[in-house]
Amino acid sequence: MAVQEHIISLLVNNQPGVLSRIAGVFSSKGYNIRSLCVAETTNPDVSRITLTSRADRDFTDKIKKQLDRLVDIVSVTDLTDIPSVKRELMIIGLRIKEENRREILRAIDLFGCKIVAMDEDYLILEVTANTDKTAAILKFFEPFGVEEMNRTGAIAVFRQPSGR
Amino acid sequence: MKTIGADIVLQVLEEEGVEAIFGYPGANTLPLNDRLADSPIRHYLMRHEQAAAHAADGYARVTGKTGVCLATSGPGATNLVTGIATAYMDSTPLVAITAQVNSELWGRDAFQETDIIGITMPITKHSFMVRDPEQIASSLRSAFRLARSGRPGPVLLDIPRDILGTPDSGNERSIPENTPLPYENGEALVRIAEALNRSERPIILIGGGIKLGDACDLATAFVKKTGIPFVSTMMGIGSIISGNGYDLGFIGTHGNQLANSMIHQSDFILALGSRFTERSTSVIAKFAPLASVAQIDIDPTSIGKNIKVDFQWIGDIKDALVALSELVPPRDRSQWETRINEERALSAAKEGDDGCGEAGLLIRKIQAALPRDAIVIPDVGLNQIWTVRSWQCRSPRSLITTGGMGTMGFSLPAAIGVKIGAPEREVVTVSGDGGFLMNIQELATISSYCLPLKIVVLNNGHLGMIRQMQDLFFEARFTNCALGDTVDLVAVARGFGIPAERIPVHGNPDAAIARMKEAKGPYLVEAVIDQDTYVYPIIPPGKSNVEMISGK
Ligand SMILES: Cc1ncc(C[n+]2csc(CCOP(=O)(O)OP(=O)(O)O)c2C)c(N)n1
Repeated sequence: MAVQEHIISLLVNNQPGVLSRIAGVFSSKGYNIRSLCVAETTNPDVSRITLTSRADRDFTDKIKKQLDRLVDIVSVTDLTDIPSVKRELMIIGLRIKEENRREILRAIDLFGCKIVAMDEDYLILEVTANTDKTAAILKFFEPFGVEEMNRTGAIAVFRQPSGR
Repeated sequence: MKTIGADIVLQVLEEEGVEAIFGYPGANTLPLNDRLADSPIRHYLMRHEQAAAHAADGYARVTGKTGVCLATSGPGATNLVTGIATAYMDSTPLVAITAQVNSELWGRDAFQETDIIGITMPITKHSFMVRDPEQIASSLRSAFRLARSGRPGPVLLDIPRDILGTPDSGNERSIPENTPLPYENGEALVRIAEALNRSERPIILIGGGIKLGDACDLATAFVKKTGIPFVSTMMGIGSIISGNGYDLGFIGTHGNQLANSMIHQSDFILALGSRFTERSTSVIAKFAPLASVAQIDIDPTSIGKNIKVDFQWIGDIKDALVALSELVPPRDRSQWETRINEERALSAAKEGDDGCGEAGLLIRKIQAALPRDAIVIPDVGLNQIWTVRSWQCRSPRSLITTGGMGTMGFSLPAAIGVKIGAPEREVVTVSGDGGFLMNIQELATISSYCLPLKIVVLNNGHLGMIRQMQDLFFEARFTNCALGDTVDLVAVARGFGIPAERIPVHGNPDAAIARMKEAKGPYLVEAVIDQDTYVYPIIPPGKSNVEMISGK
């Protein structure tokens, strides 16, 4: 079965230990987590976890069932085929050389990135996009001299408010 | 006396029908131990916390109730781990209560502090700490519900000492509940029945779920009515009274040749409460190549976990059996029966005494001397295989064994729980010298409560099963498996206050068995057995179920 990126969205009780239980399900099945974002929802008793990993469908189904068993999990949804808006935030520290300045500024404009700090030869960029696009942007800037990079991994909301 | 947290714990235990708990105290359990003195609940003082967990496990397996064990923080709690994991692997409903250090010390590496919740996360259905006296009752009630619901298993509740000792405010608060399990509709069962009715060579696979789901009678009736032969996993043995014409034995690495061969030839497997571990299937790619598989289980995660299934139904095994017995009429399958009978004759000629030799003979003699409803608890090793192959299950819950974990040292402490859960039944343990030494301290518990257990140690001076594997698969290089004969087990048993005698296994054991039978209290028989007595046939690692070998 084809291995692909899966985005799993979980609603969980906002309790100590919940995250390590979820991580435990993945590690005990030998399954790697690529990114993981957690924050409270509008209801402070409930947190949303968005988790991405590469696996085949079969494996993801099994993991979903395992997660469903955990007491503190409210819901588990595999977003891979569900219409949703997915975004991740990336911050890039970029070295600028005089001869590249114009090209870099043009690209920033084109990609719709934001400059959050800047001095003579250093630039900090903020990028918000879906994971494919952040990856493409990073790839573009790398030859110019990316000194630092950090990103959040995907978060997502459903297109239909009722969808879970 | 003011009502404190410990009283609430005991009240809920009573409410849940708990009559016995197995434990070992520490400073942090003391509020509970103190109040237990006035409670109708009996606390059995074990000699090791691992034994407390196994005893609670045995109690649960024989009574069908939820077992309860109690340990203190730190070393007490960590000593429970093997017992909890054993219950987890065999799906025994168990509530483990651990006392934790005072809340204000929690997180400071205080004396005897351990993150037992973190440690037990992967081996419990759930583990949680009570952080507030008002949550004791509801937490404990949910622990019981969780331990029993769906696929049963252990739940651990960690209670800080101050919370056990705090006066009760009477303001009980509830904690959130998990969503109920999904049940599949009857349509799926109809499809399973249709496929089963069409099949020419069907076989029923009995897993541990039949006992856990309390469906032994229904399963027996189903087999009788439909005339479909069955095989068992090690955990499933004894669900249906053995020795009738439908029973083909048990499958897997150490299983019967007939069972392994017939499941290999079958064209349809109806799996009831089994997760298809590799111990049963051997190499999965080669398992039952001709069969479509229908799996019925209460645990959605067990379905299709190990092998691909063609039909599935999630829910209570009893509901499934009731519905299926309406949908599956008896049908003529004489060709299949003929083939089975031919194979039966063939494998009987080959296996003879079931491949268990003198050990098997001894076990059969012991069974013959005891009442029909006697319970046997093998340990792990050759002794386990000899016992499960030789003991004829004649009544429900009469064979209790650790199939999932294969924990050496299980049988002696588990037998304590079994005897306390079923005091009217005879209970006999069979262990190897290795496993016996692992929880030998429980002889003290047995003698101090004067529990009339029959204890049989098959002493080959070796870790026998390890020796056999080294003999077969490591060119007979026997490393690290000799225990020697320097320990006088009879003297040791007597030292614990238990009468004992030694016999050679190939001698005539009748007189020793008679003395063991007549003993009012516990009695130990050490049967000295040759180190080269192995169990055959066996499936070598990496081979399929029909590649059993019957010698070197
Ligand atoms: C706690 C534990 N440690 C190690 C093992 C691995 N093991 C399985 S069988 C066996 C040998 C058992 O020897 P003994 O108890 O003497 O029984 P025998 O095979 O001789 O009947 C061992 C070491 C185990 N199952 N459990």
